[in-house]
Amino acid sequence: MSADTNKFVIPIGPQHPALKEPANFEFWVDGETVTGASVRLGYVHRGIEKGAEARTWVQNLYLMERICGICSHVHATAYTLGVEKLAGVEAPPRAQAIRQIMGELERIHSHMLWLGVAAHEGGFDSLFMYSWRDRETVMDLLEKISGNKVHYSANLLGGVKFDITPELAAEIHKGLEFLDERNRFYLKVVNQDETFIGRPRGIGTMTAERANFLGAIGPTARASGVAHDIRVDAPYLKYSEFPIKVETHTSGDLHGRFIVRINETFESIRVIREILDHLPPGELTARMPRRIPAGEAISRVEAPRGELLYFVASNGSDKPERVKVRTPSLCNWSTVLSLAIGLKLADMPMLLTGIDPCFSCNDRSVSVKRGTQDSSMWSWEKLRHYGIEYYR
Amino acid sequence: MASTIGALGAVEAVLEPLAVSFNRPQPERLDAVIRPDDLLTAVRTMVNESWGFLSAIVGLDHPAPAPVEGEAEVEGSIEVLYTFCKGAAIAILRTTLPYSQAVLPTISGLLPAAMLYEWELREMFGVEVIGLPVTGHLILADDWPDGLYPLRKSFVGFNGEEKSQ
Repeated sequence: MSADTNKFVIPIGPQHPALKEPANFEFWVDGETVTGASVRLGYVHRGIEKGAEARTWVQNLYLMERICGICSHVHATAYTLGVEKLAGVEAPPRAQAIRQIMGELERIHSHMLWLGVAAHEGGFDSLFMYSWRDRETVMDLLEKISGNKVHYSANLLGGVKFDITPELAAEIHKGLEFLDERNRFYLKVVNQDETFIGRPRGIGTMTAERANFLGAIGPTARASGVAHDIRVDAPYLKYSEFPIKVETHTSGDLHGRFIVRINETFESIRVIREILDHLPPGELTARMPRRIPAGEAISRVEAPRGELLYFVASNGSDKPERVKVRTPSLCNWSTVLSLAIGLKLADMPMLLTGIDPCFSCNDRSVSVKRGTQDSSMWSWEKLRHYGIEYYR
Repeated sequence: MASTIGALGAVEAVLEPLAVSFNRPQPERLDAVIRPDDLLTAVRTMVNESWGFLSAIVGLDHPAPAPVEGEAEVEGSIEVLYTFCKGAAIAILRTTLPYSQAVLPTISGLLPAAMLYEWELREMFGVEVIGLPVTGHLILADDWPDGLYPLRKSFVGFNGEEKSQ
């Protein structure tokens, strides 16, 4: 019981029933109804913006990619676009197209991850397991392109590291066919399964006006009918040649966010197929200077969770003066704190998950674990086989 | 591009009476230098015009240059950039605060989304935000020392760890 407000305060987190990442919320309740909410972030704060000032432009590319394990490519893309703008260098067309393919594959993997987490919070664990199993397909595709499932490291300042050969393109087409079919099934499930629909429908409803007022972005805002997508508003990479259609929904509730995100995966699949069929020929990299001319640049890209903004300032040396990262999760927090009021306490896990919050993005910290055990190297196939055998 | 230029023209016209100067560093971006006292009016103008949304508040530390003999000492300053985006257009309200008067009014009454950004600005740069309805830490640890602002250039880590890298 809080002395000053004479209300019951329920602390949730940092270790959480709703999320696998740490944050602390305080919900003030009257019976079962939430009357107020507050948030405390920073449990995984790493000081990356400060760290960036002590590292070279190239080292920072790897640092920025490690801000988030889900949308690593989009962070590196925003950073490289900002630095390239300052240096007056443009990546070759083929490199830009490959960046776009990686970005859209990443969006598919992120949205399928979210679908699983959100289904789990809704008490629908079979959907969670199915969607995460199928998500392996897109992660395998990313691995086939780059050698990595999470931090693909596809970007370089001035281009990309990996080419997409016709053989690889054929494999990606095959994987996309499977993902397309599975996501059509999931769209059917979230629209037809009554036991599931009862959970998100009509919960956390936000009108377009309110979404704008609260500064919501990304799929959270698009589910409220706000047709804002930086890929269309200010096309970067090859989005003007291979455009996407903005997916919106008018319901504004949590159910609408499921529909928007699943429909976005179809758009991503469509655009990747189109690029693969018309991949521009040419070089993969352009020459970059080691020292970046003094100045400021803003780059904006559409991350899976919404618009990601990078502000990069150079003082003319080989290290940045300032790198400011404004991640989409930070914009969407105010919608949770505002929409919580009046809802039941039991709806909070779903509401929190509804914005697809990413704490690494908010906090920007790192944890390093050094293995003290056997240091022998295993291939991914060997590890996977071991895992299957272990649980057989 | 035409709509972007139109949007920037519109924002330049409404900010004209308030801005000290304008600058166009990128084709799609307009910077308006605003006095700290005019900040609230400028933000209210942006809100009344429904010009885009507040995308970020960026802090920049400009430490005092090394003192030159025979010249008066110059004070360091914090520059705060209120970044608004409308479609592809970006409009930035820039205001500079000397260290000794690092105080700004909150704009969270006009734009609730600004609360977290202002909170971050206060923690990281030590800018006092008058009227911000929250206290305590948002990101830094509970036992973080008072008066130590990590994104100021003067902060080089504890025991100089950051410096040695």
